[in-house]
Amino acid sequence: MAKLGIFDLAVRYGKLTAIADLSFTVTEGERVFISGPNGAGKSSLLSAIAGAVRAAHGRIEMDGEILSGLGAEAIARRGLSMVPEGRRIFAGLTVLENLTVGTGMRRDRGAVADDLETVFTAFPILRERARASAGALSGGQQQMLAIARALMTNPKVMLVDEPSLGLAPKVVDEVYDRLCQLQGLRGLTLVIVEQSSARAARVGGRMLLMRGGRIVADGDATEFAARDLLTEAYFGGAA
Amino acid sequence: MSLQLLFDALALGGIYAIAALGIALIFGVMRLVNFAHGQFIACAVFALIVPSTDALAVLGLGALPAPVLVPLILMIGAGLAVLAEALVFRPMRNASPVALMVGSFALGVALQNLLLVLYGGRPKAVSLWAELGQPVQVGSASVPLLQLIVIAAVVVILAALAIMLRKSRLGLEMRAAAEDFTMARMLGVRSNRVISGAFALSGALAAVVALVLVAQTGVADVRMGGQIMLVAFIATVVGGMGSLSGAVAAGLGIGAASALLQAGLPAEARPFRDAFLYGGVILVLLFRPQGLFAPVGAKPRV
Ligand SMILES: Nc1ncnc2c1ncn2[C@@H]1O[C@H](COP(=O)(O)OP(=O)(O)O)[C@@H](O)[C@H]1O
Ligand SMILES: [Mg+2]
Repeated sequence: MAKLGIFDLAVRYGKLTAIADLSFTVTEGERVFISGPNGAGKSSLLSAIAGAVRAAHGRIEMDGEILSGLGAEAIARRGLSMVPEGRRIFAGLTVLENLTVGTGMRRDRGAVADDLETVFTAFPILRERARASAGALSGGQQQMLAIARALMTNPKVMLVDEPSLGLAPKVVDEVYDRLCQLQGLRGLTLVIVEQSSARAARVGGRMLLMRGGRIVADGDATEFAARDLLTEAYFGGAA
Repeated sequence: MSLQLLFDALALGGIYAIAALGIALIFGVMRLVNFAHGQFIACAVFALIVPSTDALAVLGLGALPAPVLVPLILMIGAGLAVLAEALVFRPMRNASPVALMVGSFALGVALQNLLLVLYGGRPKAVSLWAELGQPVQVGSASVPLLQLIVIAAVVVILAALAIMLRKSRLGLEMRAAAEDFTMARMLGVRSNRVISGAFALSGALAAVVALVLVAQTGVADVRMGGQIMLVAFIATVVGGMGSLSGAVAAGLGIGAASALLQAGLPAEARPFRDAFLYGGVILVLLFRPQGLFAPVGAKPRV
């Protein structure tokens, strides 16, 4: 059974169709990159899966359970976590408070301290700045905080929207290193929006290419980088 | 400044701060300016007396000893606010801020009419804790005991609220939701819990204002929440919509300015005290349209 299944999903904002009849499935432990030009609907797709925007129609399943229509809080409680575009950390809260917001729903109270240790080990800067205001962190540190905050909910599936946006290449390397390391550690299923096919190929995984609210190609990230399908997507060539 | 004046300023400002907090708490999590807050205050006032349209008020709950009465009225205020949220605002959860505001007006009018039906429209004399009117000598000033109690209560309430927001799970969730509600929900924070919590606190604060107003004025009037609601709303705007500390600071500031103007203005200018006061408010807003303490990184709901 697929870990995550999207079937005939559509998202509309008024008359504008952001996602049109889109389907794909993700298996457990898989790493899937979603790429495509600005406005392709990548963020809308993740937001719909996380319940932050309502789907016009279609079905979203995790472990065979239907998530669509549940609402963001219920979806989070079932083990799906989001690292949203622009990070959306709580700037007025401390780093530690940011990490604590998502633990309130957990039943396994004993494991929360262990998870905190795990994310502090993966991102030592967060331990160092635990009592600092999250708004005072640099962009890269805020990205790490957003990832760590999502991990603190103990998710089975994690959606990450453009973690490299606005970060220096070196920092992006570090973010992906940690992300992959934590994925292995926790057996996470990862769906990552990443504009750069070269980056996706280097990290490794499956890649879906989106354009105009649809998936136009699906394959291994390394092939994409080689075949430069991205260019075709950007400039409207046949996929 | 005389000591007497300092106490006047603190007591008035403290009450304005508590009223402003009641509005800012709900605005913070829901982006709703709850114009029914004044009627929450009025309802808590009338909860003290037995329903009747007679001119003479008979104390009902108000006759209970204070250690019972105060928590009870606070709970009634909280309960009323939570109920109002569940019945009126929850069905409107996805409505625009303007629609929510109109809804709060409608709720306020409905509550006011309910009070008119149950209690009639004439102001009633209510004697609550009359013994607290006795003056106490503090240094050079002779201050009513009630004023000292009000100041102490305001300090205790502000401290308790600050601790609750900093240290409790609900407080953390409320602060997170106030910054970015959708993000908080994506972390499993229950919106109903956070919103009910904000309304409960707001309603309890309305009840505090009610008790102080009755004890100070000795009157129960259906309209009595309206005036203080207006001042509290102005305080939340001046303080920066959504900023709790801003609401408190501006509430204190407006109360203190009001007391100072009352004492400092020449007798012939005193009737225009509020004109001076709101002139000052306009000046502040001209220079800082976002308010004195615009909250950090507050994102709109949705
Ligand atoms: N909240 C919104 N309201 C209206 N239109 C939106 C909203 N969010 C995105 N869109 C539109 O939907 C389309 C897809 O956007 P988005 O999902 O952000 O794409 P991507 O993440 O691939 O850049 C774009 O045309 C965008 O302008
Ligand atoms: Mg996007």
